[in-house]
Amino acid sequence: MSTDDLIETFRAQLRDDPDVASAVVAIRVLLGFLKQDRGETIQGLRSSLLAAIDTLSRVDSSVAVSSGGELFLRFISLTSLEYSDYSKCKEIMIERGEIFLRKVSLSRNKIAKLCHPFIRDGAQILTHAYSRVVLRVLEAAVESKKRFSVYVTESQPDQAGQKMAKALRKLNIPVTVILDAAVGYIMEKVDLVLVGAEGVVESGGIINKIGTNQIAVCAKAQNKPFYVVAESFKFVRLFPLNQQDVPDKFKYKADTLKTSQNLTEEHPWIDYTSPSLITLLFTDLGVLTPSAVSDELIKLYL
Amino acid sequence: MPGAAERGSELSEQIEAFVARLRGGGERPRSEDTARQTLSLLRKIIAHGRWSRAGELMDLIRMEGQRMTAAQPSETTVGNMVRRVLKVIREEYGRLHGRSEESDQQESLHKLLTSGGLSEDFSTPYPPLRANVIEAINELLIELEGTTDNIAMQALEHIHSNEVIMTIGYSRTVEAFLKEAARKRKFQVIVAECAPFCQGHEMAVRLSKENIETTVMSDAAIFAVMSRVNKVIIGTKTILANGALIAVSGTHTLALAAKHHSTPLIVCAPMFKLSPQFPNEEDSFHKFVSPQEVLPFTEGEILAKINVHCPVFDYVPPELITLFISNIGGNAPSYIYRLMSELYHPDDYEL
Repeated sequence: MSTDDLIETFRAQLRDDPDVASAVVAIRVLLGFLKQDRGETIQGLRSSLLAAIDTLSRVDSSVAVSSGGELFLRFISLTSLEYSDYSKCKEIMIERGEIFLRKVSLSRNKIAKLCHPFIRDGAQILTHAYSRVVLRVLEAAVESKKRFSVYVTESQPDQAGQKMAKALRKLNIPVTVILDAAVGYIMEKVDLVLVGAEGVVESGGIINKIGTNQIAVCAKAQNKPFYVVAESFKFVRLFPLNQQDVPDKFKYKADTLKTSQNLTEEHPWIDYTSPSLITLLFTDLGVLTPSAVSDELIKLYL
Repeated sequence: MPGAAERGSELSEQIEAFVARLRGGGERPRSEDTARQTLSLLRKIIAHGRWSRAGELMDLIRMEGQRMTAAQPSETTVGNMVRRVLKVIREEYGRLHGRSEESDQQESLHKLLTSGGLSEDFSTPYPPLRANVIEAINELLIELEGTTDNIAMQALEHIHSNEVIMTIGYSRTVEAFLKEAARKRKFQVIVAECAPFCQGHEMAVRLSKENIETTVMSDAAIFAVMSRVNKVIIGTKTILANGALIAVSGTHTLALAAKHHSTPLIVCAPMFKLSPQFPNEEDSFHKFVSPQEVLPFTEGEILAKINVHCPVFDYVPPELITLFISNIGGNAPSYIYRLMSELYHPDDYEL
């Protein structure tokens, strides 16, 4: 499969299925790539996969695609350790890959089931930008007959908050769009903060749309619970100690990285929220405290 | 078989009696006794109940467990013991089924990537399962007996001479803890009386019988005295999954005062009080009793114009707690998730 084909398939799948997370699309594309691969050895497979993942991250440089790719590589290594015969190994990989994709499609519902009891009747929720997992959670809360209202930050520069507000209005949830700068003002009225995540790092912190860190700091200052909802394939092996530690390739869009002269003049798209500001993480592996996240990552990677 | 039918009806009578006692809630029951009674009852159900497969047994236990927890939701030890038994059944079944100890049944990223199919079925019948499970429950009962002693044994590491310790209300675990330390060390104890039931008085009487210098004071004076206190040691009713406490009313005030003065807050509680629930909407841990203690019925005239509440329990968030001392040692609140995964299986968190 040539690089252009790969990019085309990836873009097409993203377009056709806007509801699916980009990490899942990346894994699906990689699985298709695996099926078509003509190589005869594991090493060959690994190196062509690494090249494929590199290509994909040049299209969409978000944390999610990177974590999806790394997870897929790990998946290949684990399977290849069990079977020495290459063709048998490949068969098992393809089978397991399909099972994995099926399980992952159920993860949003699992998270919604875990999270919606935490939304009390009459609650005021604050959320940030556009997150499909948060949308699913709020949908589940509506289905369980809870009444609540939502504040969404406008989330510049792409106004993702407006998209979220539109989706919430379709569910008949009373929603107010607020300026990003108004978070400190609105925090006293809010009962809980609920955000999604693009990536969950080893320390239990999260990488999410720019502005999340501010909201977390305000919430901590006013003693409001800060909940994060994320699927388990978003766990990455990063351990940033501050904002500078997050790699540039995640902070800026792929096109900006290619064309810009001086990155310090560009606006970053994501920021890092430290685990001390997060109350609980809701994942398809269960409800986790931030300290439990590194345990999960260790179980996978070691 | 007439014998079986008799045993069956006797068993359901005992279950009914237990449920009624839980619901009645007259006297404040001791958590350890509740745990022991629950385990004995579950053991009888396993021994005399009609089941042939592990799956059927688990459904039976789950059904009885739901009935018992619904009777009195604030008695979380009942639910905890049911979950322990379910975990025991899973383990014994796994051992008989020949699954290796390594393959953890917990959900994990690793499992997501490597598993080939659906989860365990529990449908193969194994005759030795009944005996194995009953033996494991007997072990649990023995473990229960030793919890207070195990906690008290750690007392000398935490209490030093000439310290001023503060506690609230009456906790038998803390009483044993302090008595054990008093055998070798000299220290003072300040007991907050914990209105409106004033169980702090009983605690003070028992401690002073062991020649520990004890002072009783009102709850309102907690903050005022806190600057002179070296450590705060308390018991609790329940430990929640995020490391928070459901403890006797007044504990949150004590915890906040301790945090303000940077005084360490130590919680002495056995592992059977650890519950896999999180604090959320279904806050059924709260228990309200007759407001007679707060405002007696003799004040008849005012009663028509005001609302009087008498909550029994308080929620203490995990940030205020320094250390948990349990029968398996000392742990930080952030480590509770790990202890939970060892005691219970994730599928049993919701009974």
